[in-house]
Amino acid sequence: MLRLFICLNISLLLTGYGVAAQPTSEEAAAQIDRQLSEELATASTAGLAPRANDATFLRRAFLDLLGELPHEEDTLAFLLDDAPTKRQKLIAGLLQDPVFGLHWGRYWRDVILYRRTEPRAILSSEALTQFLKVKINGGTSWDALARHFITANGDVRQNGATGLIMAHGGRPEETVAELSRIFMGIQIQCAQCHDHPSDRWKREQFHQLAAFFPRVAIRPQRNGNERTFLVEGRDTFPRRRRMNNNRYVGTAEHRMPNLEHPEQPGTLSQPVFFVNGKQLSLGADDTARREQLAQWMTATENPWFAAAVVNRMWAELVGQGFYEPVDDLGPDRQCAAPQTMNYLVTAFQDNDHDLKWLFRTIMSTAAYQRESRSRPASETAPFLANRPQRLRADTLFNTLSESLGIPERLQRNNGGRARRSPRRLFNSTFGYDPSISRDSISGSVQQTLLMMNSQIVNSAIQARSGTQLGQLLRQIQDNRRLLLTLYLRTLSRQPTSTEEKICLGYLTESTSREEAFEDILWSLVNSTEFLHRN
Amino acid sequence: MSHPSFWQTDISIRGERTIHRRQLLRLATSLSSAGIMSFPALVAQGAKQLKRKGKSCILLWMQGGPSQFETFSPKPSHSNGGDTKAIATQVPGIEIAETLPQISTVMQDVCLIRSMNSKEGSHPRAQSLLHTGYLPTASVQFPTLGSHVAHQLGDGADELPNFVRIGRVGRGGSGGGLLGVTYDPFVMSDASRMPENTTLATTDRRYRRRLKLRNQLESQFAKRGARQEVENQKELYAKSSRMILSPRMDAFDISQEPKSMQTAYGDTAFGKGCLLARRLLESGVTFVEVAAGNWDTHFDNSSRSQSLCQQIDQPYAQLLKDLKQRGVLEKTLVIWMGEFGRTPRINPRGGRDHFPRAFNVALSGAGIRGGQVIGRTNESGTGVIDRPISVSDLFQTFCRALEIDADHENLSGIGRPIKIVDGGTSIDEAFS
Repeated sequence: MLRLFICLNISLLLTGYGVAAQPTSEEAAAQIDRQLSEELATASTAGLAPRANDATFLRRAFLDLLGELPHEEDTLAFLLDDAPTKRQKLIAGLLQDPVFGLHWGRYWRDVILYRRTEPRAILSSEALTQFLKVKINGGTSWDALARHFITANGDVRQNGATGLIMAHGGRPEETVAELSRIFMGIQIQCAQCHDHPSDRWKREQFHQLAAFFPRVAIRPQRNGNERTFLVEGRDTFPRRRRMNNNRYVGTAEHRMPNLEHPEQPGTLSQPVFFVNGKQLSLGADDTARREQLAQWMTATENPWFAAAVVNRMWAELVGQGFYEPVDDLGPDRQCAAPQTMNYLVTAFQDNDHDLKWLFRTIMSTAAYQRESRSRPASETAPFLANRPQRLRADTLFNTLSESLGIPERLQRNNGGRARRSPRRLFNSTFGYDPSISRDSISGSVQQTLLMMNSQIVNSAIQARSGTQLGQLLRQIQDNRRLLLTLYLRTLSRQPTSTEEKICLGYLTESTSREEAFEDILWSLVNSTEFLHRN
Repeated sequence: MSHPSFWQTDISIRGERTIHRRQLLRLATSLSSAGIMSFPALVAQGAKQLKRKGKSCILLWMQGGPSQFETFSPKPSHSNGGDTKAIATQVPGIEIAETLPQISTVMQDVCLIRSMNSKEGSHPRAQSLLHTGYLPTASVQFPTLGSHVAHQLGDGADELPNFVRIGRVGRGGSGGGLLGVTYDPFVMSDASRMPENTTLATTDRRYRRRLKLRNQLESQFAKRGARQEVENQKELYAKSSRMILSPRMDAFDISQEPKSMQTAYGDTAFGKGCLLARRLLESGVTFVEVAAGNWDTHFDNSSRSQSLCQQIDQPYAQLLKDLKQRGVLEKTLVIWMGEFGRTPRINPRGGRDHFPRAFNVALSGAGIRGGQVIGRTNESGTGVIDRPISVSDLFQTFCRALEIDADHENLSGIGRPIKIVDGGTSIDEAFS
């Protein structure tokens, strides 16, 4: 075990490539492209996609960093700017926008809550998003953020850092399995019940990891009419019956269940961190356990910690991970470009786990800035193109809301009962677990029906006085101008000459200008391009 | 995959159904030019569907955990039994609570399990357990029973969804999970209305023109590199159109049932749900889940259970009679269950709390031998003393009745093989 750890470490340490100790994003990006091209011998490959044009890049950058579309003015200004550094300037600007933290806060909220085993964790959703938003916008480093999640205490509606523990009702096995998956990309939970033949972690090691968490409990609370939970690590254990498998009180130590005789108490497990083999003694208090685990897990010496987030962000931005699925790394998995990845991981560590640096770096690479192509069923080499990616539900709602002017909140019904917010409707219909490979995410009939037939979409595309389209039809008399505006608002680009021909032809065949533009707008928001970040 | 549907709330957008059959025929024919299936093909597919021989399933989901004492395991001779009396049923020797007089007349078709037990007493986790057969874990999103059945027995190319869920199922109800959103339930909040967003927003002619325009514009995006995504969406739009334009959408319209039939099922949400379930099954839908509740009677258990029983008694009995009369009960598994039972001790507020250690499940049809009781609890109802049945045993029994291989393995996101049911043995004596 120890030998393995040293090997991994050395391979990481040896990949400095003579770059400065703290490479800037631009230096690192250039090095990544060189390294990637060398490692995959892609320079001569015919399938290498060209650099995406400015309009494509602009929409991609907005959707990736803010989960929103650029406004018309942003688009025109960007297209007219001829400064060679304008893409860099754009990325830097978007990273300063407060919506950046909200967008990625929602992403990590989904990463955590989609796998919740305690459904009541939904109560912590709002606080979790807010916590992430503030930390990400404030530039909190990734290791500090992870430590917050591991050591959190408090009311789950107040302190969003408790969200990960709450997501699993404080149950030690599930909580540490998720910490390992999310922060290290190691799916050690397979060893929960048995020693997996193809994995090196043993069942005992999994339970030794769980032994960092036995003293954490989730206590139900009621503030007036509001129900909530308190995450707390306590070192005293009132003799209370465990209620219906809920973990309202903790236990002094963790025990590995006896699989043959589950009714027996099981074997006492000592807290040992499987990555570095270091241990705490039995009897250590909760603070010591969780602080220590937080430190060991996020230490630079743990190669998996930085690798997991680098792999995930690379996959989100370039459309394909070094490891896939994004949360399954580990020594026995295949890496698509190990040297390139090692370089990026080291550079990220050298930049103090700075998330904004990571975004800037990846988005500055040629690999990111290439045109998107559907992923072929069998590919000659990875990273030849960026990939069209299905928008996440929040992002889709944002784009639809901007394009059509759908408000974030609907007015109350006559009876005064608040209607469900449209955002939640989209989340329930279009949401997906962000850790799942994008290839395996498919659309559903209910999604299509919502886009085609729902009142929310159809009333917003009507050419009435109260809608955006209604206003535009009055303001802009020239059909080509209006078409350009609709394209800019939905797809952030000009129509191609073919598209213009199709649409203008459609206008002449229609009974009225209003009807024709309603149909064009309907077609645009129902298009595959609208649903994807290209 | 959404499965794991994140925000478990009901879709609130509704529309009036405005399109008529004749329009549908015209539309279906004209749509063939827009890349949508022609009407003859539609008819052929419908006919094929009607001939399908496979089994199907209705799950009557008792949201919140019904009290066994006030339903199928009355204990009138013990103080834990409260004031609920027992009545005789059609089957000599089997007594159930007086709250279910209609059910007592169809007892010969019901196999009653009185010895269900689990350890999970939290609603959502127990709902997951009884829906998926597994306790929730973060690493694997287990599919719900309906998704498995749709996956194993449904015709994926059918116009109608394979799996329809009617009413409010709790947060642990789960969806397609690792099988993907294709196997998520088609959710309806109200059986008396057509499902959300299945009504055209425009005239048929205009809808056809819109689709055509959409398809023309799509080609440009495909040329620019997103060929596969465009292809996938094209299939999905065609599939959705086939569904909403299908004459078989009538299956969702219970007002087309004779008045006498509507009366027989009763004028309650659950009654309408049961009637709709029967109609959908007849139209080729493989799995329908109908929810009733809330059975979470922490206070006033006796009177609340009584009114809840009143809501389900007639529709449940009528459903069994109706299926039998139509000769389809033998290939339809009807399951009645909730996430757990309720405590033997009545609490100071006159309620019963969560009790997973002993609860009831009732099965009918699909080769199940009715008119029998499996398992027994002690006199006070505090524990199972004969033939304990686990959730895995129960799921093995579902699979056997539906002729599904319980050992069939699906792959999790990281390629781990996951059996439909892990462990357990089907209940032999439940079958005829």
